[in-house]
Amino acid sequence: MRRATAMARVFLLVLALLGMAVDGTGWAQPKTELTVALSSFATEVLDPPLGGHLVKYYLSMMFDYLVGTTPDGQPSREGGIATRWENSPDFKRWTFHLRRGVKFHNGDELTSEDVKFSIMRSIGKRSTTGYAGPLRTLIQDIETPAPDRVVIVTKEPTLIIPLYLSRSLSTEGMITSKKYVESVGDDVFARKPIGSGPYKFVEQVTGSHITLTAVDNHWRIGTPKYKTMTFRLVPEETTRIALLRRGEVDVAELSRERVKDVERDGFPIHYRREESILTMWWVLGPDGRVGPSKDKRVREALNLAIDRAEIAQSIFGGKAEPASVPLGLSWSFKDVGFKPTQDLMYPYDPARAKKLLADAGVASGFNLDVYAYQLPGLPEGKTMAEAVAGYWEKLGIKSRLIPVDYPAFRKAWFDRSAPGAVGYFNIANRDWIGAYALLEKQAYSASKPSDTVNDPEIDGMLSQVMRQTDREKINALMRNVYTRLRSEHLGVPVVYLHSPYATSKTLAKWNVGSVMYDLFFDQLASGK
Amino acid sequence: MLRFIAARLVQSLIALAIVSVVVFVLARATGDPLYLILPMSASQEDFDNARRYLGLDRPYVEQYLSFVGRAVTGDFGVSLRARRPVSELIRERLPNSLKLAAFAMGVSLAMAFPLGIMAAVKKGTGLDRAAQVVSVLGQSLPTFWVAILLVEFVAGRLQWLPAGGIAGFSSYVLPGFTLGWFVVAGLMRLLRSGMLEVLDSEYVKLARVKGVAERRVIWLHALRNALIPVVTFAGIYFAILVTTAIVVETVFAWPGIGRLAYEGISSRDFPVIQAVVLTTAAIVAVVNLCVDCLYAWIDPRIRYAR
Repeated sequence: MRRATAMARVFLLVLALLGMAVDGTGWAQPKTELTVALSSFATEVLDPPLGGHLVKYYLSMMFDYLVGTTPDGQPSREGGIATRWENSPDFKRWTFHLRRGVKFHNGDELTSEDVKFSIMRSIGKRSTTGYAGPLRTLIQDIETPAPDRVVIVTKEPTLIIPLYLSRSLSTEGMITSKKYVESVGDDVFARKPIGSGPYKFVEQVTGSHITLTAVDNHWRIGTPKYKTMTFRLVPEETTRIALLRRGEVDVAELSRERVKDVERDGFPIHYRREESILTMWWVLGPDGRVGPSKDKRVREALNLAIDRAEIAQSIFGGKAEPASVPLGLSWSFKDVGFKPTQDLMYPYDPARAKKLLADAGVASGFNLDVYAYQLPGLPEGKTMAEAVAGYWEKLGIKSRLIPVDYPAFRKAWFDRSAPGAVGYFNIANRDWIGAYALLEKQAYSASKPSDTVNDPEIDGMLSQVMRQTDREKINALMRNVYTRLRSEHLGVPVVYLHSPYATSKTLAKWNVGSVMYDLFFDQLASGK
Repeated sequence: MLRFIAARLVQSLIALAIVSVVVFVLARATGDPLYLILPMSASQEDFDNARRYLGLDRPYVEQYLSFVGRAVTGDFGVSLRARRPVSELIRERLPNSLKLAAFAMGVSLAMAFPLGIMAAVKKGTGLDRAAQVVSVLGQSLPTFWVAILLVEFVAGRLQWLPAGGIAGFSSYVLPGFTLGWFVVAGLMRLLRSGMLEVLDSEYVKLARVKGVAERRVIWLHALRNALIPVVTFAGIYFAILVTTAIVVETVFAWPGIGRLAYEGISSRDFPVIQAVVLTTAAIVAVVNLCVDCLYAWIDPRIRYAR
């Protein structure tokens, strides 16, 4: 008996000593290391054409883009492989002049052949990137007249080529080494990728981390400030915050809910303001819009019934702003000269909403299915859906919440099997070309099945954007599209969401930028 | 003994075959993975290309036969999400789960033995009740809650131990304790009841009458005979710890097979789901087989009875 008691004491003592003795040096890093904790790595695929948008967070330090961007998403001659580009008078030939002396991490020189090879891979049939389809449709040929010159020939006149291949969109513009990929094959490349960016690949442990190491000197950022950059996958927020407190990570993705806790402890919070728009829409039927939402007055009523300011405050902790334009990606507004004036904001006006419903002949309400699901980066998704459904209930609308996972909703939406039902998404904000790419999918009838708008006037304007070669005319078309989306109430914009990132107290100044799915670590790591 | 093992092996193979059918059907019943893999902007052509490339356009029977045919050789296909061979992912993750489960089992045994023996020897006393409270708490407190509390206070506030990831022995303590504590209750109660039964038996009474030291009576005569159900329980629980530590692996950012299962399920990655479930089933089958053999070895009457 005495031994049993003694054993119990010894065990407790060991646990206590272990706790006291261990200093947690395992992940602690010297100052030459930058560690970033993210909640998701998406696909964890290190091959640009196969990863999707979200892999940009870590791939953009490993690869260079054909066309660079500034942190606020503007095309940059300093940030990409192309130092300048020009178009032929008919806008069907785009010539890119490449930076000389750029080397891949294995020492091979980057040439026009690599650029051609990379673009062809990106638009190939294996590719799962977001914009492979439109580029495939558009590109007729890629010529390589000189090692430092690439000419992209398109089937139609267009302005979008440089932007579609820039850092502001997805991964289509990332340059990979032709020689290396061909020699090792796709599978080995995906495991041991070689790029030409300021950081080269060291190790990937799936589900755990990706480690990169700095090159000696890079044209983008000079001599990198951090020798090592590690991206750690930490799905649980409490753990990310604990790692930050322990100094094991320097940058941690944060939810809006936990901002105050972390701020109270003195950690700087960096916001990606309006990183996404939370917008709702009605699922179309096989032949277009159906049910009460076919009536513009009903659509307006549903918009007026929502108190966006209250949602922003109570559900998103004040880290959100009311939105006024369906699918209105605000980072593109300044690009195209669109001004979302105060009169465009939907007031919270249930009385007027009720009158509009009465005018539309549905004063007694109607049944409305609202799909409720969680989305990455939107833990508040279901609560928001419940709140909106609650506002609509007050109008007499019988909202039925349908809890599903997002793919189930997406299938119903694409198959058009739930016409008239409502779904939502936190759409990543982006510049005008990204906004156009989104509208081309979600507001363009020809893009069936993903269209949510079904408006011939908008169809006409969007079809012109792709062919238009006068930037001013493009801007005017985009402004008109936004105006029409708002005036016809072709969706339910809810709020713009700010995304917080906490950093260690000693981290340098950091401009998180406004580039889609890219935290722009260039500035943090820059030795220039 | 060999016949006994052969019979058990056949049963295990039948179970694995049934599991393979069930997981294949259920995985596909969850929906189309392309809605998760492809971006919103993907066109119908992108869907068709991906479906063809990933082999999802083939008839289900063909897909199943191909899956089983390759699985027999240890090839579980390529992950739809990570685009890497699934066997490679399993090889990367399984050792992490095995190590964590071993550590957790060590923690639970180290807690359960003294508590169980103490509770039996001091039956009905405050010590007995305290031991039961400790063990029952381990099973009744939700694992995610215990894990988050430990991360928040022990790692984040007190900064005694690492909060997550694998980095040396210290990183095993919090996840190992969280998992281990959960198992303590079962082990401790089994040990307590086994000990109580044995301590009341004739041969223990005889040993005491003969003047054998109490320590020897407890640790040598009683404990050994109370161990059989504990061994079975520990074996089964070890397999469970390896394969179901999803919550603990998620909270502690532990790249184990539980997290791989979660990632597979949430992205409808059929090859990963199938491989993880089959591997899990195989582990459970092997552990059960080992436990049965051990059981039969400890108590020879068992193998003759079957």
